[in-house]
Amino acid sequence: MSQPLSGTEPRKAAAQTEAQGGRSNPFLLMPITMFFALLALAVLRSPSLMTSSGIGAAIIVATPLILATYALMASAISGRGTVDLSIGPLIGFINVTLIQLHGAGLLENPIAVFLYAMAVGALYQFVFSLIVIFVRVQPIIVSLSGYLALTGINLVILPRPGGVAPPFMAEWGYGTTIFSPILVILLLASAAWLLFTATAFYTHLRLMGSDERAAYTSGVPITIVRIGAHLISGCFAGLAAICFTALIASGDPSQGTTYTLIAVTALVLGGASLAGGRGGVFGSALGALNLYLITFVLATFNFGTVQSFVTNLAYGTILVVSLLLTLLIPVIQRYIRNFSPLLYFVALSVVVLGVILHATFEYAALGAAGAFLPGPLDMQAALTGPLEIATLSSATEALRLSAAPLVLSALLLVVIAVFLRLALGQSDRRTIAPAVAVVVAALVLAGAYAVSDTVGRPDVEVSE
Amino acid sequence: MENLPQPSLPALILGLVTGLVLTAIGVGFGFAQGLTVQIIILSAIATLILFVWGWRYVLGLFLRRAPDTATDGPSPLRQAWNQYRWPLFGLALILLAFVVLSLTVEGFFNIWNVLSLFILLGILVLTRTLGRQFQQNRSAFIGIMVLAGLFSVGSMNIEGFASGNNIKSMLLFASFLGLASIGQTLVALLGGLDLSIPFIIGAANVGLLYLISLGVPPWLATIVVLAIGTTLGVINGFLSYKLQGQALIVTLGTGFAISGGVQIVTSIGSQYSGNVFGTVPAWLANLSAMNGTTFGLPFPPVIAIWGVIALILIVGMRLTVYGRFLYALGVNRTSASRVMISEMRYWVIAYALSGFFAAMTGSLLLGWSGGGFIGVGDQYLFLTLAAVVVGGTSLLGGAGGYGFTVIGVLVLQVLSSFLVGIGLKFEWQQFIFGLLILPMVALYARSPHIRTQI
Repeated sequence: MSQPLSGTEPRKAAAQTEAQGGRSNPFLLMPITMFFALLALAVLRSPSLMTSSGIGAAIIVATPLILATYALMASAISGRGTVDLSIGPLIGFINVTLIQLHGAGLLENPIAVFLYAMAVGALYQFVFSLIVIFVRVQPIIVSLSGYLALTGINLVILPRPGGVAPPFMAEWGYGTTIFSPILVILLLASAAWLLFTATAFYTHLRLMGSDERAAYTSGVPITIVRIGAHLISGCFAGLAAICFTALIASGDPSQGTTYTLIAVTALVLGGASLAGGRGGVFGSALGALNLYLITFVLATFNFGTVQSFVTNLAYGTILVVSLLLTLLIPVIQRYIRNFSPLLYFVALSVVVLGVILHATFEYAALGAAGAFLPGPLDMQAALTGPLEIATLSSATEALRLSAAPLVLSALLLVVIAVFLRLALGQSDRRTIAPAVAVVVAALVLAGAYAVSDTVGRPDVEVSE
Repeated sequence: MENLPQPSLPALILGLVTGLVLTAIGVGFGFAQGLTVQIIILSAIATLILFVWGWRYVLGLFLRRAPDTATDGPSPLRQAWNQYRWPLFGLALILLAFVVLSLTVEGFFNIWNVLSLFILLGILVLTRTLGRQFQQNRSAFIGIMVLAGLFSVGSMNIEGFASGNNIKSMLLFASFLGLASIGQTLVALLGGLDLSIPFIIGAANVGLLYLISLGVPPWLATIVVLAIGTTLGVINGFLSYKLQGQALIVTLGTGFAISGGVQIVTSIGSQYSGNVFGTVPAWLANLSAMNGTTFGLPFPPVIAIWGVIALILIVGMRLTVYGRFLYALGVNRTSASRVMISEMRYWVIAYALSGFFAAMTGSLLLGWSGGGFIGVGDQYLFLTLAAVVVGGTSLLGGAGGYGFTVIGVLVLQVLSSFLVGIGLKFEWQQFIFGLLILPMVALYARSPHIRTQI
């Protein structure tokens, strides 16, 4: 995997200047490591996670948390210790009002539902930011106040869990396939944030978060920037509420409240700074996924009646230990000056891909396809089978059928990594290299598609 | 206070005469109500002293301010408008709300509500005018004003609000919250947070009953529980110090761990999975039950315990070198460590005290309820924070103190008692509670504008 990336070596000097910016983020080291460790453990404990429905269910359950973490992150970056404790009750508030309005016959249209949820979230955060800016009390007090008030009003609006979600959401919460609308929401939200990071507004936001006085003296309109950050946060909260509604397919006044603590935890685990100025969707998503995977892994163990207690114990211990491991970051930085999260992510993902393949690959199925292949030789055959093109026995044919999706996914991974790296590295130069990268990437992808097309389309549920 | 300009002689005499007249009125009312002579004499003396003190010092504060106002600029009316624009808007808003409520709600317009309105307006005016004169401890002044206002409004509108029993029960719950908030205050003074308090309370609550049901002598069990709480606090402090800025997650993590761990221990060999049954010893029940007695006096000892601890803390933090060092660390840790104050030691001590008092609250709550319940501390997660914040201690460290938190605890307790008293349901209580915290804090805890911080 390091082969294609070694092309970046000549630009080392340029990369080191970039290291001063946001691209080399050592705080992502911990979430990435933890993510892959947990993922490997989860797959080994329960290979069914790596089926279409397993991943689908994981996405459905984790997405509200991820989006709630995004919402926290957007406002936490703006500084002054803005930890929006009211995010959980806000999600609950949008959920219960959505259900009640739908029950009253309003809000049938999906577009109206989305607009309503995001508008309510944005409106709440708008008021929040106005209070922070003009009344000038600490944001945590505003959020504490909002937490208590919204928790109360949620119970007034919907005293006990009930109601039905709008019908178009009905099958969103099943989680039987990977490609659900929930995933689209998540990807669109992440992409929107990534696009936002390219704007000057984002630079202003980060400057304000790290040092508000410096931002003010250098002419950044801090009032507008703060309002903007909160509006973005409110939109994320609205999306989180929609995904939450789709997940439980009804209204629940108190369930949403639990998201507060988990989302704050996910935010910190994802390497964001509660003091402001540092944070991103990549880390936040990883932090939220880590928390999901912790509960998933713990659920695969059976402790009988003390299950929930052991879960609590392990959950707390993991939180503390993972934070303690961040103490290693300065030590690591002494040896690795220019830590690239992307490279690290790709390297670890290859290792974990191997683990996933090992855990989910049905060696028995291979043996069954080729009648003459004995059991113990399966691994050998799986490795060499796709290379022996000359003799197309039924056994190798079966092997190729099984291996094609794996080869395809590996190629995809390589191409995406190289392409991303090139695109990021070259984005500020007026050269033709990005275009070349695009052409090469397109060629490889076309080739991979052709390969997968000729061998037919077996069940793709093996790897990703 | 020494360098205040003294009021002139006529002013002093005027003050003395007014005080005497007031005292005479008070004495007259006292005889008219048929109170005992001792009480009348005592209250007359108290009235006189309070009035003369207030006249001498508060007037002095105003006198010092007086020359500053005579400056050039727009006309006085316009100046006043510029200066008091927002308070006037606020007053108009409150009056409008009152009129709307009187027009819409049947029977809202009665003498008690009008009086409450005047008290509310009086508090607002006082905090806007008099509160400015206090350079330090402004939040304490405003807190006491809010407390007095809430209490008088409550006792006017709710029957039995000012009765001995209700005050006793308010103080009882306030002392639980107050004891739980000690740690949060100390930690907030350093700029940290302790979210493990509710979990330690729950764990101590269940763990103590478990130990007692195992046959351990109750006093030993209590000591063990307190020691474990302190140990957890030490761990919290050490980790929070090492991981600067992550105190929130660290304490949350240790909190989850201890609450899970205690539940595992208590459910081993028990078929009730986490529920502990046992009898609470009489002395523990007496400590915190409503009908407990302190050396024969009819109030639960926990109130006295809270009072003594609060006194020790307030005096200790003002006068001892440990208290001063704590503030020094909170204000500027770099300069504090330059003058050889061990940062780690104070972090560990603050968190250890936090753990100790959380365990103590859990044990006392066991005496109050008589049964172990792991979720008994859950409400304290945000309530301790709210008490610290409403009192006026900054969560960023360095400003505030336990005296402020005591006021915050009392304000929260009287407020929730009041909301219960006017017959609101739990969810409405919480809603109004949340809405009221913000303006209460906004009365004094506003940070200066960014342009003045450069």
